[in-house]
Amino acid sequence: MLSTPILLACIIVMISAAFVLIVQKTSANVIPGASKYTNRAPTFIIAGLPQTGKTALFNLLTTDSVKPSVMSQEPNVAEDYMLPTSHKNFKFKLIDFPGHDKFRSELLQTIKDSSQLKGLIYVIDSTINPKELVSTAELLYEILSVTELRPDGVDILLACNKSESFVARPPSKIKGALEKEITEIMKRKAKSLKANSKKSLSDDANDDDDDEVAVLQQNSAGFEFDRIDGNVDAKEGSVLKNDIDKWECWIDERAMN
Amino acid sequence: MIDQFAVFTPAGNLLYGYNSLNKKFSETQINRFVSEFISQPVKDVTSKFPIISTSDTSYMYHETKQPHLFLVVSFASSESIQLTAEAESVVVLATKLWESLGLNEVILDNISGKGKKNVHNFRFITEGASDQISKFGSYFEVKYDEMKKTSQQKGKKHTANYNKQVPVSAANKGKQSSKGKKENSQIKARKWGRDGLLEETAAMDESLDFSEGNRTASPPIAIGSDLESDMRNGSQFGKQNDKGEFLINEIDELLASNKEKSKAKPTTSSPFSFLQKHILGNKTISEEDLKTVLDSLKQKLISKNVAPEVADHLCNQVSKDLIGSKTENWTSVDQTARESLQKCLSSILTPSVSVDLLHEIQKRINKKDSSGLNDPYVFSVVGVNGVGKSTNLSKLAFWLLKNNLKVLIVACDTFRSGAVEQLRVHVENLAQLTDHNHVRGTKNRRGKTGNEYVELFEGGYGGSNLVTKIAKQAIKYAKTEHFDVVLMDTAGRRHNDATLMSPLKSFAEQANPDKIIMVGEALVGTDSVQQAHNFNQAFGKERNLDFFIISKCDTVGELLGTMVNMVYATSIPILFIGVGQTYTDLRTLSVEWAVNSLLS
Ligand SMILES: Nc1nc2c(ncn2[C@@H]2O[C@H](COP(=O)(O)OP(=O)(O)OP(=O)(O)O)[C@@H](O)[C@H]2O)c(=O)[nH]1
Ligand SMILES: Nc1nc2c(ncn2[C@@H]2O[C@H](COP(=O)(O)OP(=O)(O)OP(=O)(O)O)[C@@H](O)[C@H]2O)c(=O)[nH]1
Ligand SMILES: [Mg+2]
Ligand SMILES: [Mg+2]
Repeated sequence: MLSTPILLACIIVMISAAFVLIVQKTSANVIPGASKYTNRAPTFIIAGLPQTGKTALFNLLTTDSVKPSVMSQEPNVAEDYMLPTSHKNFKFKLIDFPGHDKFRSELLQTIKDSSQLKGLIYVIDSTINPKELVSTAELLYEILSVTELRPDGVDILLACNKSESFVARPPSKIKGALEKEITEIMKRKAKSLKANSKKSLSDDANDDDDDEVAVLQQNSAGFEFDRIDGNVDAKEGSVLKNDIDKWECWIDERAMN
Repeated sequence: MIDQFAVFTPAGNLLYGYNSLNKKFSETQINRFVSEFISQPVKDVTSKFPIISTSDTSYMYHETKQPHLFLVVSFASSESIQLTAEAESVVVLATKLWESLGLNEVILDNISGKGKKNVHNFRFITEGASDQISKFGSYFEVKYDEMKKTSQQKGKKHTANYNKQVPVSAANKGKQSSKGKKENSQIKARKWGRDGLLEETAAMDESLDFSEGNRTASPPIAIGSDLESDMRNGSQFGKQNDKGEFLINEIDELLASNKEKSKAKPTTSSPFSFLQKHILGNKTISEEDLKTVLDSLKQKLISKNVAPEVADHLCNQVSKDLIGSKTENWTSVDQTARESLQKCLSSILTPSVSVDLLHEIQKRINKKDSSGLNDPYVFSVVGVNGVGKSTNLSKLAFWLLKNNLKVLIVACDTFRSGAVEQLRVHVENLAQLTDHNHVRGTKNRRGKTGNEYVELFEGGYGGSNLVTKIAKQAIKYAKTEHFDVVLMDTAGRRHNDATLMSPLKSFAEQANPDKIIMVGEALVGTDSVQQAHNFNQAFGKERNLDFFIISKCDTVGELLGTMVNMVYATSIPILFIGVGQTYTDLRTLSVEWAVNSLLS
């Protein structure tokens, strides 16, 4: 014996299934490349190595207060974030990405998936010795190899955090050191083994990777931020001391257009 | 005594932190937990709540699903049964308190976007809950102090009983003395092992319920100290807590009322839930929902060569991840489970530290000693017979040579006949590939097989003493002759043969390679769990494998289960995969590709 509710449920199931299918089909046809981007909102991404102060910055931006934090395993997301300063009606999505190595591929995927990436805030702990910036440069290099695939690149703010500390280095020094490190990384990357192709194993040449390396190819003098498509600015600040005006200005400028 | 207790979100917001020594709460300690938690794909659950241990600290944790929160207790070591039990009751207490204060509801509302947003159009996860959280804090402290007092009391009685062999000391009267007896029987039970442990934890739970008996049993000193802590928290509670007892009563009533509430929760099963499960989404997932989909996913994994125990573990992870959580809108339970499995697999396969070998080698080369020489960077490969150790070692050599590094290949397989000759052929090939003018069979200027860039170091055939001797000589030789990298081939050995496995330990100690690589073949299947595990154990406590090369990936199509098995068994990353028999057939692993192949 079938009871009426179940019958009813079945009918609704069929109707809605058909509906869903139709919606999916049409949207794929109407909007070209619909499958390519899953995030279409204007977006700012906060990225960086672990313990640089990303979550602290996210909390300061969203709640105007510094909150205690521990290592993140998930992104923090503010869907329709507003900067209260100038452009009251402009809203964007703000994402704070965890810094642990395990989430690196997720970060790069999110960058690829966002069609309107207005800017990326790359948080750096400026108290580290510039000689030990290798991993900072490595992550930045990986991010650049994704963002520079776009026609105009993506603007990047090197947010040199913890500037209140007496061992903090000035942003210009950090930027210079990063350029040097990236030059070295590019030399090494050119020689590294390629990842096996996602499509098939017998495929010897990997197009994706070659693209990524080629995109950042520069003259023999070494890597320079000025030569790439996206603008890269280095500015100091301190989340702890609520001193992030320069960063807010930077965001503000990109949020407008 | 526990060390610290913390409640935090996966996104990294610390909602409550407690340090038992009234020191500043250390976020760093909790960060260590999180980092371990992220990196260890395998989580053993032997106690009521899972425990993760680092060298000096153990962490017991409880993950709640709605909302997703972590409750973590850190303590000195999980070796002590008493500490483990204490940590367990702290987690139970905190979970109950958290629920009773209605914090979960507030947080869920904030997440789902209810409530007024601030100037940034944002609402923080604990907005409007600051009262409840500070209440939680003071309640927790009071109850934990009480717990400490009673357990200290117990502990004293225990030792007294032990030493004097008197079951109940004269000071204990009435109810307390009967309690003493009960505890005494528990001590015995505890000594007998597992059952004892269970019994004791059960007893701890009871003490949280605050049955009449327990309260009268709590000693007067405890009330005094509660008063103290009340004074500290006095501002929030005002004068109403003149007596410490009062606050405790309040907490107990709260806990009791919550118990009824949670019992009353009905489990609905209606046509609507069927719709939710398959189409609408937004459904709270239960165990039954997952059963069929997990079974089919498990079969798929096993068909891809994933060992049954590993498949089981993965499915358990998925159900732990999902039960109690809600599906997204317009997402079926099946799809959600699949996505969760996908996440689980890629988190297992993704290395938790990135390794840049060329950079490490370069750093080594730059570190010259007083006479301008540097130690070579030493790799050694180990593995079962015939898996492709020698072949992949040569591929590695080819790649290093292409990077202008000078490579010394060492024949430490002194066991299998023909092993040295096989390597000689490889070295001749590599010499020709780096220098087209090389004539096969000619010696280089040092009188050895090979040329200026690649050379074979051989010492004939013999036992395991010879192996370590060759290894040490080779490293010395490499240093004086300016080789950058030393690659040591070793004999293949069956992982379950102790006489062959035991020399590995002394080999690793004597030769002390920078990286020990295990080569495993993709073809092997279920046995790979045991292989990886035994090889990883073979080097003793101090040393682990550094990474895997999985060979013959070209021969298995999508049956890549071996990769998952080996990483599962050891938490050691796969660095390269072998995809053919020529020198260029070495690749880094694309996790995305592997996961897609496994689930296709
Ligand atoms: N001295 C100083 N410390 C800061 C500053 N900003 C953040 N911190 C501290 O840096 C630590 C890490 O901050 P988080 O925001 O949690 O770090 P995160 O970048 O989110 O780290 P992950 O989540 O692991 O990626 C915390 O202990 C902060 O208190 C700052 O401006 N100065
Ligand atoms: N198709 C394929 N074959 C491989 C791969 N790696 C190794 N082989 C083959 O596997 C066979 C055994 O390789 P060896 O390198 O001699 O194995 P081994 O582990 O050194 O063997 P023992 O020293 O005897 O323990 C050879 O025929 C290799 O060509 C691979 O990635 N793909
Ligand atoms: Mg964080
Ligand atoms: Mg061999």
